[in-house]
Amino acid sequence: MTEYQSRQLQFSGSGGEYFRIWIVNVCLSIVTLGVYSAWAKVKRNQYFYRHTTLAGASFDYHGDPKAILKGRIVAFLLFACYTLVGKFDQVAGSAILLVIIVAMPWLLMRSLRFRLHNTSYRGLRFAFHGSTGAAYFNFLLLPVLSALTLGLLWPLAQQRMARYTRENSTYGSEFFKFFAGSGAYYRIYFMTIFIGVLVFAGLMTSVMLLGSKELIPVEADQLVAMSVLVASIGTYLALFLLAYPYVAARLQNLVWNNTQLGPHGFQAQLRAREMLGIMFGNVLLTLLTLGLYKPFADIRLARYRIEHVALLPQGSIDDFVAGLQTNSSAAGEEMAEMFDFDIAL
Amino acid sequence: MWLTAVYYDGRQARPHPVTLCVEGDKLLLQGRDIVRREELNGLKIPPPLGSTPRLILFADGGRCEVADRQGFAEMLQDAGNSAVAGMENSWWYALAALLLTLSLLAVVYLFGLPYAARVVADRVPVYLLERMDNQFFASLDQTLLMPSKLAEERRHTLQDGLRRLVLPPGEDRPAHIEFRGSPTLGANAFALPGGSVLVLDDLVNLASNDQEILAVLAHEMGHVHEKHALRQMLQASVVGLAMAWYIGDVSSLLAVAPTVLLQTRYSRDFERRADAFAAELLRANGIPVSRLADILEKLEAAHQTAAPKQPVESVEALDYLSSHPNTEERIKRLRGQ
Ligand SMILES: [Zn+2]
Repeated sequence: MTEYQSRQLQFSGSGGEYFRIWIVNVCLSIVTLGVYSAWAKVKRNQYFYRHTTLAGASFDYHGDPKAILKGRIVAFLLFACYTLVGKFDQVAGSAILLVIIVAMPWLLMRSLRFRLHNTSYRGLRFAFHGSTGAAYFNFLLLPVLSALTLGLLWPLAQQRMARYTRENSTYGSEFFKFFAGSGAYYRIYFMTIFIGVLVFAGLMTSVMLLGSKELIPVEADQLVAMSVLVASIGTYLALFLLAYPYVAARLQNLVWNNTQLGPHGFQAQLRAREMLGIMFGNVLLTLLTLGLYKPFADIRLARYRIEHVALLPQGSIDDFVAGLQTNSSAAGEEMAEMFDFDIAL
Repeated sequence: MWLTAVYYDGRQARPHPVTLCVEGDKLLLQGRDIVRREELNGLKIPPPLGSTPRLILFADGGRCEVADRQGFAEMLQDAGNSAVAGMENSWWYALAALLLTLSLLAVVYLFGLPYAARVVADRVPVYLLERMDNQFFASLDQTLLMPSKLAEERRHTLQDGLRRLVLPPGEDRPAHIEFRGSPTLGANAFALPGGSVLVLDDLVNLASNDQEILAVLAHEMGHVHEKHALRQMLQASVVGLAMAWYIGDVSSLLAVAPTVLLQTRYSRDFERRADAFAAELLRANGIPVSRLADILEKLEAAHQTAAPKQPVESVEALDYLSSHPNTEERIKRLRGQ
């Protein structure tokens, strides 16, 4: 077999260019009382997809704005109901929340279908074939079980969700394959907890030391309580700031490095430290500019995440052929977005 | 004129390098092993989007990607171009859109939102309002509030005083009053979103006479009359929702802080209107308006000495009588009447 060179994904979007598209989108969305936001979303996706190229060809997005608008209206009504009714009547609010939670796996499944069906590369569409039953098992039963076991099963649940999404996805007629076991997921979270314990122990001992040498004004009998307090707050802040970029980077690497499309492999090399820098800078600048930096932030993060993934071809990538297409509605995707219930894809 | 492009037939991922040219109303596509001649009308040409490649989509799923945007625009006389695409490419339009967006947001925030909140508040059914206040007490009776320590008689006297008040036309009964004690909230009274008025023991004890308490109750009834608490709650919910949606991926924690900051803008106007309502009610009942000014002064003094104890978590309680910067101005205006 001949060796094929790895093909890095490229991203050619620029912050200034996207800012102009973004601000026109925002303005028109407000003027049309939100109706244009569906068209704006298609534009945004098309901008990011078309600027993403692999081996000389770009991706494309084909979502129908009218379908997205319908989904947005349903999602908005449900969400508004939930937040407003919750203020008047907690029982009714919880009932709506329950309905939303029970519908969520189905919505997520539809959302995956819509998103992949409307993504193309080299004129061939992606697609998602996951079943409803498996969606309920992976997106509802497993998370509930992991909550009941105080999160012990969460890495396993996450591995199953990733496997469900990957192994039911196709490009053309070719299925994706997924090899990561749950052990690798447990290792990522174990490392996170380990870092947390280290930070806690470090802070605790330093406060104890400083206190016993009377460098900080604490009475002797309150020293332990004081150092536990400082260490807990410090650990909480450290994990809050560090854990998300760390886990996000590690998960993306894990998922891509264990994914195959036909004979072709992938490679992701994101660094938690660089992710942290980008995310932290993005949040800070977005707040300082009252939100105006947001489009630049989106571009920056997308560039980092896209350009650190590569395709490792084993043979020609010209041989994919079109597969059967599925129908899809946009309702799922909008709901999933509204309720901030996203899965790492 | 010829244009180089890459063609995909929609059935296989193989790229076909091709050349394009326009012949009359037809597009001619030629490659090594492919020739297509298609009516221009039957093709879908998406508008340009930033510096992304230009595209030609065929009805049968075929697709052309053209990197040369300039040449594409010249050859096809900018088919598929739209007004929006033109705006997206110009910094002047971007600036105009930015200014328009900011002014629209300001108008919505200053006028649209208060108006919508008033319309909605007037349409919330009474039973829902009562339920809201019950829920409010149910959640706070275990934490911030405790049973009133005032004597039964004292409470009855105050209730009677309130019942005897001559109400302005349109009001059929005085507000429903609940007495509670609260060491953290101190001397205070609150108009709740559902229309009940919460009176704290310390306020009753602080007042030198019942007329001062009635003055405070009249002020709170002004809030109830115009549904201030409900309107403010609705406005804050919408602002919070919008913030959470916009910041979304940053953290919903950050969305809370600005909401609280933005909220205070409403309460000044509301205070003025509640004071006006109270002044009218007091005058109609032969009670000097200065009684309200007296108790406001005492509250201001009480809260300034107890300032460090002020809990931050009383946002839910819509703390109207706490030391707003405009209390002095309010006292001055009440004394002037
Ligand atoms: Zn007031």
